[in-house]
Parts: sequence; C-alpha cells; structure tokens
Amino acid sequence: MTDSPPRRGSGSPGRQAPAAAEPKRVFAPDFLTELFRNPLDPGYADAAARKAVEGSPAGMRRWFTRAASLITLIALGFLFVVAYQQTIADEPARTKARAALLQQVQSRRDQTTQLQNQADKLGDDVAKLRERELGGAAVAQLRDMEAATGLAPVKGDGAKIKLGDGPTPINPVTGERNTVARVKDTDLQLATNALWSLGAEAITINGQRLTATSTIRQAGEAILVDFQPVTTPYEVLAIGPADMAKDFRDGYAGKFFKELATKYGMSFGASDVRNVTLPAATELKLRVASPIPPPSASAPVSSSGSVSSSPSEGGR
Amino acid sequence: MIAVLALAAGVVLGIVLGPTVPPALLPYLPIAVVAALDAVFGGVRAKLDGIFDDKQFVVSFISNVLVAALIVYLGDQLGVGGQLSTGVVVVLGVRIFGNVAAIRRHLFRA
Repeated sequence: MTDSPPRRGSGSPGRQAPAAAEPKRVFAPDFLTELFRNPLDPGYADAAARKAVEGSPAGMRRWFTRAASLITLIALGFLFVVAYQQTIADEPARTKARAALLQQVQSRRDQTTQLQNQADKLGDDVAKLRERELGGAAVAQLRDMEAATGLAPVKGDGAKIKLGDGPTPINPVTGERNTVARVKDTDLQLATNALWSLGAEAITINGQRLTATSTIRQAGEAILVDFQPVTTPYEVLAIGPADMAKDFRDGYAGKFFKELATKYGMSFGASDVRNVTLPAATELKLRVASPIPPPSASAPVSSSGSVSSSPSEGGR
Repeated sequence: MIAVLALAAGVVLGIVLGPTVPPALLPYLPIAVVAALDAVFGGVRAKLDGIFDDKQFVVSFISNVLVAALIVYLGDQLGVGGQLSTGVVVVLGVRIFGNVAAIRRHLFRA
C-alpha cells in the first residue's frame, strides 16, 4: 500500500484520459480496495482534468470559490476549537460531581464530630452528677474501672509505635497501584495485640482509644478503627511498663515490622514516651446487660426497664 | 499561507465566541471532527499533488461532515450508532492515513 500512491500520482493522468474522453464518472466496484489504494478524493483528479480541458475558471467565479474555501477553513478551525473545548468541558463536570460528594462527606463528618462533642459533654455531666451522688470510694473504684476499660482519659508513660505506608508505585503496564507496601489492618492488629501482651494498659491508634470491643478493619483502601477511618502514618500510643518499647522491638511484632521495613520500604519506629495523655474511647455500646437483682420482688420490671431504656449510658 | 491564516482565524473565532454546543448535537461532534480532518488532509495532499481545487475542497468538507452526521444519526435511530460510528471512523481514518502518507512522501521524499 505504501508504494502505490506514487504510482497513482503518475498513473492518474492515464486514469483521467478516459474520464476526459467520457465525462461520466466510473465508480470502483471494490470500495475498500480502492480506498486503500487511492485515499484521495477522486474529485480532485476530475477537477484537475476539467481544468486541463477548460482552463482555470476566471473572474467572479474564481473569487467566489476561493472565498468559499476560506470560509470553509475558518469553519474548520472553529469546529476544532469547539470540539476541543467540549472535550475539556466534559472533564470538569466529572470533577465537580466528585467535589460535591467530597463536600457532602466532609459535612457529614463534621456533623458526626459535633454530635460526638455533645455526647461527650453530656457524658461529663452524667459523670459529675454521679460523682456528687455517690461520692468517695465508689467513685474512685468507678474511675479505675473506666480507665481500664477505655472510658476515661488516662495519663502516663509508655511506648510509641510508628508505622507508615511504603512507596506504592503504579505499574506502567496495567496502571494498577502496587499496594504491597501499604500498612494493612492485620499489621495494626498485630501491633496492638503485641502491646497488650507486653502489659499495655491503654492504647490509641491515631488518637482512637481502643477498648475491649474495638475493631480494626480494612474497608477498601482505608483502615477503620471503631468505624473511624485512620490514615498513614499510623501512631500507636500505649501506656504501660517502662521497657515496653524495647520489648516490642525485640519481640515477634518488632522483628516482623523491621522485616517489612527492609523488604517493602514501610516506615517503622518504636520509642519510649513520657507523660502522654490518651483520650477516652468515643463510645462503648452496651451489648449485653442483665438487670441487677432487685432489692425486693415488687419492682423488677422498672429496674430492668431503666437499664434497657438507656443502653449507652447504662454502661457508664 | 492564506489557508493557514484562515484556519487560525477560525480557531481565534472559536476561542473568542466560546459557543456552547447544544446537547442534541454533541454525539456528532467527534465524527464531524474526523470528517473535517479527512477533508483537510485531502486538501493538503491535493495541494502538494498540484491538483487542489477550491470547489472540490468545499464540497468534500461539507458533504463529509453531513454524511458522517447522517450515518451516525441513522445508526442512533436503528440502535447501531456505536458500530456505524466505528465504521465511519475506520473509513475516514484509512483515508487520513493514506493522505498523510502521501503528504509525508511529498515533504520528505521517503
């Protein structure tokens, strides 16, 4: 196909000879073959042949066709720009939809935070009232229990474990991101379990306090700690024995993370921290509750009713 | 030279006016662009062949765009719009490719 057009260039006068003799246009029977062999519109050859016979058009007519072709060229440029702008305009529409969704997510998140703050404030009120009513040893005991279960903020010395995603290069062939160096939920679970086993009394992941019923789960690319998304770099703070960071580094989890760091480029660090404050857990839903044995058989219903009617506060 | 200026004038006009395409015409825009490209490369090649003709150029441009749009419209009505668009693009693409190859031979003698 590549060497046929030169032949065509020299062959076209031969083709035009019968066309000039007989003005009736002959159409090639095999359209595709003709298309490949001779991509130029046959009209140009015909026009050239006509010019050769009749001579170039002169005067008004010549200027008219010239102007028409210029207008066509202007229309062409116009068309290209319009098509280009249209293609560009399609993209912002998509981005706009994405931005709107992001905004919605953000506003809902703000709402959640606001409600959480309100709940915390009400919880504080409840705690204060309880303190006033109970007083003394009962409150101290309650506080200890709250600190142990994660319902009260605690302060002390401990260890800080830092974990961060390694590089996630995009495969140039498939366009997929290689996520092997990303911190997984199991990594965080391993770290927290190791800390618990080393005697940690309280643990937070990126400020999320863990309780006995906390979950660390992967949801797509995000890791959710108690349904709150946390992102890299992950900072696991634990309050516990003085040599916890060293023990962690020497233990199975520390060796595992060091291995990951050297193999995949994830970042890992364990260090001692002094005098850190870990916040209280955001919520602890009461899942199982049994009524306190009633002091008298006369009011068992009201006692159990009061526990189940305020499930979230019943545990506090 | 004048042709290039006219093309540039069209581009400037498009940028200045910044028209919005009615949604009904949107599906025809890409096909119209391919048909227009075919007319342009056909014209350039004819110019280099020394057989350029203004009338032929105008008529080929208008008819190319109209026929391409008509085929896409018919295809849409028949439910085979995508396939027919592909057909139009293949035919025009082959022509564009052939003409560009001829232009290349004219310019580089290779």
